[in-house]
Amino acid sequence: MTAWIDFARGPLFRLSFALMALGLLRIVLLTLAGVREGYQNSSDKIVAWKEVRRQTLGWLFPMARLWRQRPIYSLISFLFHAGMIVTPLFLASHILLWRNALGIGWAALPRRLANWLTLLVIFAGAGLFLGRLLSPAARKISKAQDFLWPLLIAAPFVTGYIASNAILSPRTYQEFLLVHLYAGDLILLMIPFTKLAHCVLAPLSQLVTAVAWKFPAGAGDRVAETLGFGDRPTWLPKARLTAELPEGAAGKGGSER
Amino acid sequence: MKPAILTDTTKCTGCSECAIACQRVNRLERDIPRRWDFGDGLSAENWCSVVDAADNTFVRKQCRHCLDPACVDACPVGAMHKTAAGPVLCDTSKCIGCRYCMMACPFGIPRYEWSNVVPYVRKCVLCYDRIKAGGQPACTEACPAKATIFGDRDELLAEAHRRIRRNPGKYLDRVWGESEVGGTSVLYISGIDLSFLTYGEHFGKEPLPQTTTLAMESVPFAFLGMGAAMGGLYWIIERRNRLQAEKAAGEAKGQREPEK
Amino acid sequence: MDRVVRLKLVLWVMVGLAAAIATARFAFGLGATTHLSDATPWGLWVGFDVMGGVALAAGGFVVTATVYIFKMEEYHSIVRPAVLTAFLGYVAVVVGLLFDLGLPWNIWHLTIYWNPRSPLFEVGWCVMLYLTVLMLEFFPVPTEGISALASLRRFLLTLRIPLVILGVALSTLHQSSLGSLFLIMPYRLYPLWYSPLLPVLFFISAVALGLMMVILESHVTAYLYRRKPETGLLAPLGAATRWVLAVYVAARFGDLAARGQLHYLASGAWQAKLFWLELALMAILPLALMSATRFRRQAGWQGAAAAIGVAGVVLNRIDVGGLADIGRGGPLYAPKWTEIAVSLGIVAAATLAFLFMIEHFRVWESRPADPEADPRKLPEFDKVGFTWLGTPAVAGRVKYSLGFVFAAGAGFALLGSPLAARQGSVPAPVHRARGDAGYLRSGVSEAASLGQPGELPRGVLYIDGDLTRYGVTFYHQREIERNGREKSCVLCHHMNMPHDQDSGCYACHRDMYQKSDASRHDWHASPHGANLACVECHEPGYARTSAHVKPCADCHKNLVPAGATIEIPNYNAVSYVDAMHEVCNGCHVKVAAREKKPEIARCAECHKGRLNFSDTRHYLYSPHAPAGRLVILPPPKVSEVH
Repeated sequence: MTAWIDFARGPLFRLSFALMALGLLRIVLLTLAGVREGYQNSSDKIVAWKEVRRQTLGWLFPMARLWRQRPIYSLISFLFHAGMIVTPLFLASHILLWRNALGIGWAALPRRLANWLTLLVIFAGAGLFLGRLLSPAARKISKAQDFLWPLLIAAPFVTGYIASNAILSPRTYQEFLLVHLYAGDLILLMIPFTKLAHCVLAPLSQLVTAVAWKFPAGAGDRVAETLGFGDRPTWLPKARLTAELPEGAAGKGGSER
Repeated sequence: MKPAILTDTTKCTGCSECAIACQRVNRLERDIPRRWDFGDGLSAENWCSVVDAADNTFVRKQCRHCLDPACVDACPVGAMHKTAAGPVLCDTSKCIGCRYCMMACPFGIPRYEWSNVVPYVRKCVLCYDRIKAGGQPACTEACPAKATIFGDRDELLAEAHRRIRRNPGKYLDRVWGESEVGGTSVLYISGIDLSFLTYGEHFGKEPLPQTTTLAMESVPFAFLGMGAAMGGLYWIIERRNRLQAEKAAGEAKGQREPEK
Repeated sequence: MDRVVRLKLVLWVMVGLAAAIATARFAFGLGATTHLSDATPWGLWVGFDVMGGVALAAGGFVVTATVYIFKMEEYHSIVRPAVLTAFLGYVAVVVGLLFDLGLPWNIWHLTIYWNPRSPLFEVGWCVMLYLTVLMLEFFPVPTEGISALASLRRFLLTLRIPLVILGVALSTLHQSSLGSLFLIMPYRLYPLWYSPLLPVLFFISAVALGLMMVILESHVTAYLYRRKPETGLLAPLGAATRWVLAVYVAARFGDLAARGQLHYLASGAWQAKLFWLELALMAILPLALMSATRFRRQAGWQGAAAAIGVAGVVLNRIDVGGLADIGRGGPLYAPKWTEIAVSLGIVAAATLAFLFMIEHFRVWESRPADPEADPRKLPEFDKVGFTWLGTPAVAGRVKYSLGFVFAAGAGFALLGSPLAARQGSVPAPVHRARGDAGYLRSGVSEAASLGQPGELPRGVLYIDGDLTRYGVTFYHQREIERNGREKSCVLCHHMNMPHDQDSGCYACHRDMYQKSDASRHDWHASPHGANLACVECHEPGYARTSAHVKPCADCHKNLVPAGATIEIPNYNAVSYVDAMHEVCNGCHVKVAAREKKPEIARCAECHKGRLNFSDTRHYLYSPHAPAGRLVILPPPKVSEVH
């Protein structure tokens, strides 16, 4: 078992970390190259850069926007994402590992805070998972992987929390550690090749739609407005979306697809 | 005065005081065996070592400070230099890390800081600062048996020959360092053959820099000669082609004219 | 996949692998990423990347001279590819050099600090100047479409002949000077290679290699882009190569005969075999193939002859650059996989640049059809990713970058711990002292089972932890009697392992030169051992390091004997050598001062006599020889010891 653990935090970790970093860089560059080509091929070179920037920032930090509509969801989502990035990066034990293997390290979170953050990620994740499961609209647009991802992401947090806090026999400790390491490596490995890549692709989405697809900035909002549920949560039951479509207002966006 | 060291291996008890003094005076760190060690005890942190040779003989190994050093000739940026005072030193501010000096040294002395991200070539400096101040190197000062002594090279050579004459049975009739590769500042007399200290067993008396002299001195001539040859050939061939073309044109004209 | 696409994918994978290693090379240094050593300071990166690279780029000056000086205009079509190959070759050489130099950021020192007597100085300057010449020669090709630069191009055209002549002269110099580099090490290089004629031999072989490289490059690109091979055009070049090679072979053997070294050829030494292999590849085989008109005029044979010759000359450069002097003292050198990967990666990058240039600029009379360039081609379906990859250009981009990323990831995974490799430390496990160790307690001699050096009397130990028979005779009984009999144990034995008394030093100081973990963590944690939960020793809520852990003595009440003089500061046991020196010398220094006998604190007080350094007639270059000391021949085999 020690050999398996050493493998997971040695070569396998280096592989998955490098693949994650370089893979994310790769998709960003590929996307930007695509945007550039789209821009070059388009006859209409006018892009509302300011609007793109505004929208991008708006989607990057969606608090203001979502707070109005779905305060609880937006809070949970924010805590989940922030905790998920901060906790593993600033955990003392992780930093110790890097310091030993590579000689780089930085300030660590206090142990107690790290514990709370871990619990927060676990419960926020569980909340989001339940939300998806219980809301009929959300369930409808979900695929199988959307239910698997939260479970996989929770795995290293749960095992890590138990291994570092519970009083365990060394063997059980190692077993938890093993699951923790392999699940963590697996997640890192899959980030650039799955929907987890939204960590870098989400900020680019406004740019892509505006420059490459030529959707006018804010088209989505206008479509929603036109459809009659502008300020209302999209996951409300269909029965309430009764407004009629005004003539021709379905938007340019739709016709260009 | 040409500073020099004479080591009499018959007097050496192998106590290593010289190596310890060297480490202390030059502020070297304690070293451990490394993958890249030559195996003779010298390293980037050990500029002096005591080799346990055959027949209860100990031989102190250090830079020989050749009179005409190969490393100095090899260094492309002149970082390795022979000081007027005698010691061969490396100016690390010039070094580019090509390690040609290590390849060129016939005694295999310079060592590299392989473990460092910013590595330098390091070796014995013959305690340059101490010599300049009129003192003697740490190693000779530390030797309790007076097996290794510091002094003027000519005087030490005379002393070496005197010892050999006085005790012909004890010593081999040879002063190592007197004439090989042009002579070195570090001299040895011994009862055993010391050629294991070097790469080749049969060193000539020619200083090694002379091996490249011919090649390097012919560089300007090769450059100008090749340039001139190419220029000349170009001129000749160009001219021939032009004449041929003119001739051909003339003939064509001549052939065409009668037709008119 | 098309052959070009497949090749490019492979090349990108190679570049990716090299990129990962490059990071480690510049972050952790040469010791972590190469097998270079003090005995072999020049390795593959000098032998292949620099020496081989310069030789491979010889096509440039040979072909420009052929066309512009000798006015053989029929070869005009191969000038541009040859100049491009040379240019990229030299760039690759410089990149390889940046990897190999210990202080690559100082490479510009060549321009301000001069040592004109050094062949390397001359090589450096020639390479710099020739790179500039090549750049000027090739400049008009990629800038063809830029009308703003037209006047500059016209100006360069008027300079063409002087540039070509300058290029030939510079190439003559540094191709030969690469040989001059080794003139200064007559005692290092094997006699079959060392010769005062090395510069001349290098130059002749460079001319031959230049011709063969042009032939090879033409055949390879013809295959890749499905063009008709220029066999007919190249055949006369093959014929010319033949003469150059003949001169080379004659010069090589003539030189050996003149120096009286011919007898080495028949010696069974591996260097002699290497010499024959090298000469067969670089000269004899291509010479034979190109002499037969039938082979010379047939595309396959022509290409094969050139390929063999090119491989042979590169082997020659590697031989001179280090292979032939391997094993002349010190540890053997074999390139680490990282060195090979970087060398291949540089070549791959240069090849990619070459393919890019011929696809995008008029290097050839007509640009080849890039299989990816056609935007009208339909998107490609990727069976692995189960997606449509877009137009061929997009598909290529997606594939190459994926190959690069995966190769780089694999490179990082395979690198191992660079910090450990950088230290280069060699583990040297410690064994217990030999001799009559158990005489106090059992009265039974253990000497027979351990094998002792010489005849050790009862109560005498021989301390050589790494069994190299390079140790100290320790008069245990005498020390006991001198220091107060029973009371003296605690002077040295400061720790009792459980169920033990006066434990031997080797029990904790387990490596000769490196610190070791004094507590047996695996045993404490193992269900087969103590089966302790982590928090029974480690403070709950803290990182599980030695900083937050219970002292051993909290549980092991008898661990430290009463009155022990040496404290146990932490869980790191110092190295065996340090521990032994500290424990003995600690007292010796005090006694020396008290009794005014300085000699008993000197090394030679214990390390004296033959036995205490080595009791065999053999000596060795032991990799474990302690710093400042040397044992010259291999240690006794394990079977001898036991």
